[in-house]
Amino acid sequence: MTELDTSEYADVWVFVEVHDDVMPVSWELLAEAKTLTAKTGDDLVALVIGEDVDGIAEEALARGADRVLVADDPVFEPYRADPYGAQFRAMVEARKPSIVLIGGTHTGRDFAGRVAVPTHAGLTADVTEIDVDDEGILQARRPAFGGDILATIVCEDHRPQMATIRPGVFEAADPNYACETTLEGSIERVEVVVDEADCISEVLERVVDATADITEAERIVAVGAGIEGDLEPALELAEALDAELAATRAVVDEGWVDGARQVGQTGKTVRPDLYVAVGISGAIQHVEGMNKSETVIAINDDPNAPIFDHADYGIVGDLFDVCPQLTELVQERGILEVAR
Amino acid sequence: MTWTIVVGVKQVPDADEVGIDPDTGRLDRANAPAVMNPPDRNALEAALELRDTVGGSVLVITMGPPNATIVLEEAIAMGCDDAVLVSDRAFAGSDTWPTSLTLARAAETLEADVVLCGEETTDSSTGQVPPGIAAHNGWAQLTYAEELEPQPDEGRLVARRDVEGGYELVAAQLPVVVAVAYGEFDPRPAGLHRKIFAENDFEPREWTAADLDIEDEVGLDVSPTAVGTMETVEPVERRSELVDSVNALLEPLEETEVVG
Ligand SMILES: Cc1cc2nc3c(=O)[nH]c(=O)nc-3n(C[C@H](O)[C@H](O)[C@H](O)COP(=O)(O)OP(=O)(O)OC[C@H]3O[C@@H](n4cnc5c(N)ncnc54)[C@H](O)[C@@H]3O)c2cc1C
Ligand SMILES: Cc1cc2nc3c(=O)[nH]c(=O)nc-3n(C[C@H](O)[C@H](O)[C@H](O)COP(=O)(O)OP(=O)(O)OC[C@H]3O[C@@H](n4cnc5c(N)ncnc54)[C@H](O)[C@@H]3O)c2cc1C
Repeated sequence: MTELDTSEYADVWVFVEVHDDVMPVSWELLAEAKTLTAKTGDDLVALVIGEDVDGIAEEALARGADRVLVADDPVFEPYRADPYGAQFRAMVEARKPSIVLIGGTHTGRDFAGRVAVPTHAGLTADVTEIDVDDEGILQARRPAFGGDILATIVCEDHRPQMATIRPGVFEAADPNYACETTLEGSIERVEVVVDEADCISEVLERVVDATADITEAERIVAVGAGIEGDLEPALELAEALDAELAATRAVVDEGWVDGARQVGQTGKTVRPDLYVAVGISGAIQHVEGMNKSETVIAINDDPNAPIFDHADYGIVGDLFDVCPQLTELVQERGILEVAR
Repeated sequence: MTWTIVVGVKQVPDADEVGIDPDTGRLDRANAPAVMNPPDRNALEAALELRDTVGGSVLVITMGPPNATIVLEEAIAMGCDDAVLVSDRAFAGSDTWPTSLTLARAAETLEADVVLCGEETTDSSTGQVPPGIAAHNGWAQLTYAEELEPQPDEGRLVARRDVEGGYELVAAQLPVVVAVAYGEFDPRPAGLHRKIFAENDFEPREWTAADLDIEDEVGLDVSPTAVGTMETVEPVERRSELVDSVNALLEPLEETEVVG
């Protein structure tokens, strides 16, 4: 294999994911990538792909990107893996970024490989911590084995160094960053290299509701399979506590709660002040997404449920009794407002 | 037109059986029994359902050590037609780039119309192998697939994909790589006769890197990523206090400034 001259590669790219709105993880990456460019001296470049996305390009500048690259064409709307992959790949080959960060959403994890494989880039999955060393090598840390292990993945000899980043782990970039620091960036429209005639997939229908964002919630009531399809007791408790509803994957798979509210390895990472786990067993893939919570209360009728090891306070009992009682007690006391 | 359906399955350490090494106090993964990656059962079921509808054959492949034959036998017991073990010392140290290349070449050699995979594994869980197979071969892909509708006359497969906040229906031209959403497609139990056959008489085909003409394109040397360090994550310290009345839960709610 021929050695690659890594010094030809510069800049940190952040992919801005657009489906009507911008996915929150994109702005989280933009803010976190600033900590990398502050060390390396690289430009922070936002990449916007979609149709009629000028406003989003402006927003990326306002949130602190040094430059924005825009690929604007109807072929990119709605999202499909093959045109996105082909366009992104062409841009990477032409411009040689050193680091490329993509949100670890279903979309990001879908097309990232279509960029990394043909460019022979290193692609690290589902990253929760990033840093660069003195040589500009990305140190991408990610949980593995269901979260028992935190592995640091490096890519020394190949470029770009790509990573998909788990949503909800970092703080989002300030929408007025540029105003406050009087930065001025540039927006560049790039050539669109994909043609509808070459596409090998077609979106027949897309049904998407406004998605809930549980990652910023200060209080969460999360439900597990123990609710057996009856959300009522948990919803009432959530309302009494002024909390957001969240769920395990088991509940989402049953269709009882929307997937945007799933907590865990293949869902969101949350860090509320209060996390009430209702009828949740405490599987490692779930705990991984909630163990940054400040205080955890577990309600489960099985005294041996692992969730009690991951809770500060637990009560062994039937959730259909405990939830209404707790709801009533909380209502009697009156709650304090969430400090936002 | 019937379809050749290829399923990728991987052997992983049994997550429920990973113990603690008494000498080091660390997780002892090496001695955990190896099992089939649970999400791959959903992929096998999806494959068998496609075969039921369209006709054709279901061929299972695993890239792994010789003892990975066990997971192939399991797949045969479920009703798959044939299996290939792709095994070679040259694969050692492979990240997802050469792993998906190997599976891509195997799928091409088997003349696959559809390749089905699990959503991700329970060990390194990158979920990168299915899109990687598609990218190496320039094939279409359908990830997070919850339902499948074959359209053999049009040479297409339609999937209902799970996306943030909803779903979409996407049609892809064959050949296509599908990653089945974990938990969808309830795996059927193995039939008794098939099970006896799988365990006693069945032998998988065995391929090496040379058989796929990729000796120089696999292993550590071509893998862009490397695992630097691995730290055991210390569990977050919790009080783990069991209270005996609902009333007692008010105290933590006061502490967290939820109730007055
Ligand atoms: C690759 C992979 C990724 C995964 N990703 C995720 C993820 O992101 N998030 C996630 O949550 N899971 C994930 N999982 C699934 C995970 O392993 C568990 O299967 C899941 O978290 C279990 O959900 P549960 O606790 O709701 O259900 P169960 O494990 O079935 O637990 C239900 C609990 O409810 C209790 N209960 C029942 N009835 C009552 C009652 N009346 N009152 C009180 N308690 C009651 C039971 O004692 C039990 O403890 C993943 C799995 C894999 C393989
Ligand atoms: C701690 C750790 C972290 C790692 N992180 C990364 C990383 O970030 N990036 C990277 O490129 N590599 C990484 N690797 C290497 C990677 O684990 C291997 O390449 C692995 O063989 C394939 O990845 P996976 O298990 O994540 O598969 P996934 O992509 O999660 O598997 C999805 C599906 O593909 C199919 N499949 C996967 N492997 C096989 C197989 N061997 N045979 C047949 N079918 C298969 C199965 O259907 C499976 O359900 C890591 C390894 C370790 C130990």
